[in-house]
Amino acid sequence: MRWVDVKASLKDFWFEFRRQKGGLFGLALLFLLIFTALAAPYITEPDIPKKWTQYWEGNPVTVPPVWYNYFTTKKLAPHEVLTANDLRITADGQDIGGGMKYYSFEFTYENNYDVPPSDIIIRNIGVKLADLTTPAQIVVTMIRPDGNKIELLNTELREGSIYQLAKDGKVKAAVFQWASQFENPETIAEGGETLKNTMDTMKVIFAKAQEGILTNPEALKGTYTFQVEIFTFTEGDQVDLSTTQIILSGRTYGLMGTDYKARDLWAGLVWGTRVSLTVGVTVAVLTVLIGIFYGVTSAYLGGWKDEFMQRVNEFWASIPTLPILILLGAAFKGHVSLWTIVFLMVAFYWTGIAKVARSMALQIKEQTYVEAAIALGAGTGRIIFKHIMPQIMPYAFAAMALNVPGAVLTEASLSFLGLGDPTAVTWGQILYDAQTQSATINGYWWWVIPPGLAITLVAFTFVLIGISLDRVLNPRLKRL
Amino acid sequence: MGYGKYIAIRLLNALLVLALVTLLVSVLFTKVAEEDIKSSIHEQIGLYLRGNPELARALSQDPEKYHEWYQKEYERRLKAYGLDKPFMIRVLERTKDTLMLNFGNTKSPIFGETAVSKIISKAIPRTVILFTTAQIFVILIGLLLGVKAAQMAGSILDRGVSIVAMVTSSIPMWWFGMIMILIFSFKMGWFPSGGMTSTPPKEGFAYYLDVLYHMVLPVTTIVFVLFGGWAWTTRNIMIGTMQEDFIMAARAKGVPERKVIYGHALRASAPPIVTMTIFSLLGSIGGAIITESVFNWPGMGRLYWTALQQNETRLLMGVTFVTVALYLIAMIIADLAYGYLDPRVKVGASQST
Repeated sequence: MRWVDVKASLKDFWFEFRRQKGGLFGLALLFLLIFTALAAPYITEPDIPKKWTQYWEGNPVTVPPVWYNYFTTKKLAPHEVLTANDLRITADGQDIGGGMKYYSFEFTYENNYDVPPSDIIIRNIGVKLADLTTPAQIVVTMIRPDGNKIELLNTELREGSIYQLAKDGKVKAAVFQWASQFENPETIAEGGETLKNTMDTMKVIFAKAQEGILTNPEALKGTYTFQVEIFTFTEGDQVDLSTTQIILSGRTYGLMGTDYKARDLWAGLVWGTRVSLTVGVTVAVLTVLIGIFYGVTSAYLGGWKDEFMQRVNEFWASIPTLPILILLGAAFKGHVSLWTIVFLMVAFYWTGIAKVARSMALQIKEQTYVEAAIALGAGTGRIIFKHIMPQIMPYAFAAMALNVPGAVLTEASLSFLGLGDPTAVTWGQILYDAQTQSATINGYWWWVIPPGLAITLVAFTFVLIGISLDRVLNPRLKRL
Repeated sequence: MGYGKYIAIRLLNALLVLALVTLLVSVLFTKVAEEDIKSSIHEQIGLYLRGNPELARALSQDPEKYHEWYQKEYERRLKAYGLDKPFMIRVLERTKDTLMLNFGNTKSPIFGETAVSKIISKAIPRTVILFTTAQIFVILIGLLLGVKAAQMAGSILDRGVSIVAMVTSSIPMWWFGMIMILIFSFKMGWFPSGGMTSTPPKEGFAYYLDVLYHMVLPVTTIVFVLFGGWAWTTRNIMIGTMQEDFIMAARAKGVPERKVIYGHALRASAPPIVTMTIFSLLGSIGGAIITESVFNWPGMGRLYWTALQQNETRLLMGVTFVTVALYLIAMIIADLAYGYLDPRVKVGASQST
């Protein structure tokens, strides 16, 4: 084929394809998916696959996405991280005599939510102690919009200390004591120790100072100021506040929420596109190429060789794929690399295409111009590649597109069974985690719905393109 | 070629596939089991030593003696497990055992049994109940919709069927099951989230009602995901048939349209539709593997999940063997049915795709 012919036939093809609305829609979806896959490191972060197997420290665990607030009457606090820039430093190493120094900073939190953050984490305060046996002192005080002041924490500060206020027993005790003054004394007498243990510290400190603050806290909206004071006791102690991080652990997180390892599901969704597209397209292209090569060869050779190749094909086709794939996956003990999965799927999926390619090649072989070419002394290669292949190619493209969904669904299924590549970020694995952590029964919809929709979208895209290609390229279907 | 010879060749082919698949799988699992057993032997010897403090004390004084004793003990136990035989012999033994349905026992009881064959014979009927029911719905809805769509090619119904078919065939069945549980079990609380019966199971007639109640969600899931594809294929086959000359002849003769469609066209389309029925049953075994584990339905699919999670290699091997065997049996039935309905079919033109 000359270049001009290729151009002309492509033009013809496009003219026909343009009229397939579904096909155009599929094409648009495909570009969107390819864009997402390519841009994944820029949309999210470049090191997601490496981070994916770990617990994401600092993130809230299994919380819904931020936009969930639009659909609920109770507004949930989002996740926020404050860095040194958000802190107002009021004292930076004042000498208060006796070798003691005083540091202090403030930060504010605007609480406009019905459910406050689930925790406040203070970490990465750069403390260097000259004498490790004499720790520094940290005092955290909260000033509420109603003017009430609570000393939440008064404890020692060592190098690398992390304070999780909601989980801290001392904070709990301090808050309980403070809140008791507003609560009905009878309730406290009745509830006693249980009341204290079941109290949600964060809900209480962000609640209206009124009766019921312990049993049924009602959020007090407004600006909360937190004062953090640090005292050092030894000459030579250093405090560097520039690395300090305050995490207001959210009741919602990001675009898609988080899972049980506090991972950002949005990042997982975006990165999953890569695996899904790569596996789907690679499997489809390889199976079709192998299938066509096998089918055409079989038809061309004819006679007992054809017969033998057909028996092999049938034999191979009668092996049920999924159980065998599951078994192989189990034999590799869940450490199947993506390429092994691709290889296995190719190994099992080429048979159907080989059958169709053979029947097509048999028809083409009988046509007069092929006979003429043979009579004129054309070589085997020339006949196969010049006369037979170009006629099968259109079918091949449609078959490739139609084969992608199966591969995408199979990969997802294997990952869902826990047999996928553990080092890859895949939608099937996200759903596997969701299933093993009983996400459906707990109602974690943001963990279940988006990955499945994504799988469906990829499969649907290729179904659309495949069916449109089939209609354009295989004219015998046009009358349908 | 005679029908009898045709059957014989199909049977032979199926048996050969079964034997070869079993052999292949045996190779894999003999290897896996070997490593499992070796590590368990080390554990057993450690336990034995801890149970005999006198022996342990005597041995700990002389490291050489200890080493010698350990080696002897290790080999004794290796032999007890039959691991002293060459690899290929073990593979062949395992293949033979599997083909004779001696699957062995599981490490811990599943469905209250430890014998793999007993576990499987409990699971199969449960899978059949669920999927036959679902498949009957799929076939009824699919056929009716497909015929209607073919009758009114190009209409809104026809296009609707195509779109539904494309969308539903892109959905992972097990994921749709999870969504159904999320909505109808968690949010609405209408149906149980899984299992086949309530715990404890009810008595008498209430038991059957309870099973039906538990079947609603899984059956709906399967029907929803499969009926579209079915309707679409039926439509395509029917449209092909309706363009044949004999349909035109029937119409020209003045045969009523209803009779033309259900009497002539549908009958002529029967062979591919019958094979499709059988193969969609096969396909649903594949999809079912995972859907069942989502719904905690105690059938073959759940067994796969359990076997994978608990690393029960023998059970995994048994379930795979039975699944492959069932698949091959169904394939033979499909071929025979096709050969019976359409006598033009010869050996070699198997409808495996």
